[in-house]
Amino acid sequence: MSEDITRRALLGNVARGTVLLTLAGGAGFLIRKANGQVVWQVDAARCLNSRLGAVNVAACNLCTTECVVPLSAVRAVNEFSKCGRCNICPAYFNITSAVDAHGLPSEKLCPRDAIIRKPIGKVDPEDPANNFYEYVIDEEKCDGCGKCVMQCKEPLGLGSITLRIRYDKCVNCNRCAISGACPQSALVQLPVEQALRPQVLKWPGE
Amino acid sequence: MARGVSARQRPNGVRLLARLMPAAFVLIGCLSVSLSRAPAQAIPYQRPVDTAPQPDAIGGGYKTPAVQKPLPRAYWLQVLDVALLAAAMGVSVWLVLKRRDRKWLVALTAGSLAYFGFYRQGCICPIGSIQNVAVALTDPRYSIPMVVTATFVLPLVVALFFGRAFCGGVCALGAIQELVVLKPIQTPRRLDQALGLLKYAYLGVAILFAIKPALARDFVICRFDPFVGFFRREGAPHMLLIGGAFLVAGMFIGRPYCRYLCPYGALLSWCTRLAHRGVTITPDKELDCGLCAGACPYGAIEEMRAVRPSCLYCARCYAFCPRDGELAQAKATLVQLPGAPS
Repeated sequence: MSEDITRRALLGNVARGTVLLTLAGGAGFLIRKANGQVVWQVDAARCLNSRLGAVNVAACNLCTTECVVPLSAVRAVNEFSKCGRCNICPAYFNITSAVDAHGLPSEKLCPRDAIIRKPIGKVDPEDPANNFYEYVIDEEKCDGCGKCVMQCKEPLGLGSITLRIRYDKCVNCNRCAISGACPQSALVQLPVEQALRPQVLKWPGE
Repeated sequence: MARGVSARQRPNGVRLLARLMPAAFVLIGCLSVSLSRAPAQAIPYQRPVDTAPQPDAIGGGYKTPAVQKPLPRAYWLQVLDVALLAAAMGVSVWLVLKRRDRKWLVALTAGSLAYFGFYRQGCICPIGSIQNVAVALTDPRYSIPMVVTATFVLPLVVALFFGRAFCGGVCALGAIQELVVLKPIQTPRRLDQALGLLKYAYLGVAILFAIKPALARDFVICRFDPFVGFFRREGAPHMLLIGGAFLVAGMFIGRPYCRYLCPYGALLSWCTRLAHRGVTITPDKELDCGLCAGACPYGAIEEMRAVRPSCLYCARCYAFCPRDGELAQAKATLVQLPGAPS
């Protein structure tokens, strides 16, 4: 009887050891192969809203509608060093709306009023047209609809606003829901350092 | 020579105008197109800029603010998640096997649901990692970070020694179902066993979809995760509906996803067959009262013995035991009836 129990215990130990070794071997293989973290990012050169040459088309808002997190993990981000600081920013104002008493367009472009405009530098109150303005995107309001991105590029803007994945929001899905829907295949998986680099706008096919 | 001089004497404004002519034409073109749709008054665009002014041009001590560019979750935080997973499993083993304490286990369950579920939004979890591991093992161009490997392996290793400690009090998907168990009915054994086979089929399907070539690959486990929509407070309506249905059904049928569908549960129950410790209905102490079997919502007590591969580590059997649980702690005295087996 007791021999029987020890034999069973021995068999159990052998089986457990075998499974453990298999798990350890598999884990070792995977860890040796691991190459750091990859994250999703919007390729600005492919994204319809930011790539050059796509003008007079409706902004694509699939990043807003397809993402699995509230509001979307894709937000418009203004790269301030590239911003023209314009008085009449085509991404801030709806430049086709009627002019108001101050000589500015009366409507804003952003449907969620997420862009904040304020004069910066040496402000000359007599000459508002020649002051510089800073445009900050309110991250709590922006849902990445891309309307401002579409306007802030040639011919009217400098392309300082692009759609970017915000890594404080993104849950890094196995297959990003937006990537499945994006007709331009603009969502790509990149190593972290590469994904954080500022993006360059290009003409399609360039 | 004379012409050159005259060119240089041309007023500045005119030269600027000449330089901006092409831009102005494009602009007018654009505006006229949009005007044809919007009958608003056109405004001459004041300052078409071709370079971005930098702080020295802006003046007034202006400094370019930092761009909103939050980093992905820091590596040490990801390691912390894995450490928390391991620690929670350790606590789960200790509470169930050593303390036989259900109250604190419920607290651990709620804590895990809050952290792994609602704070970490159900990502990453060992259940979904099955497919990533399968892809990484088969596709030479696909690899997973070390934390994913650890998340996948750790609960299996624990199961090899102590059983499904991950399922009790740690897994967020299990926790949300554990906390809604209201009035569980005992599923007929045959039906229970038949439905239990579904999880092996699901595991097979998940691996099949994972080892397909990259373009045809589909992460079905994550896509059809019934509760992740609740964790993220957003999801496809049909998935939220399915998740809600699972929760409503889970009030009466204990943890239906865990018992009948969870593919990781299939792996865990295989490992648990080899475990040398686990939930035990102690033979020399028992009264044959069957209260434990009646209390187990998961059909994991058969003929007064714990069926470890299907035991989900909820410690209800201990809590309902007159010798071991809350009743014993309340100093209830057991009366020895004359003639009854002791």
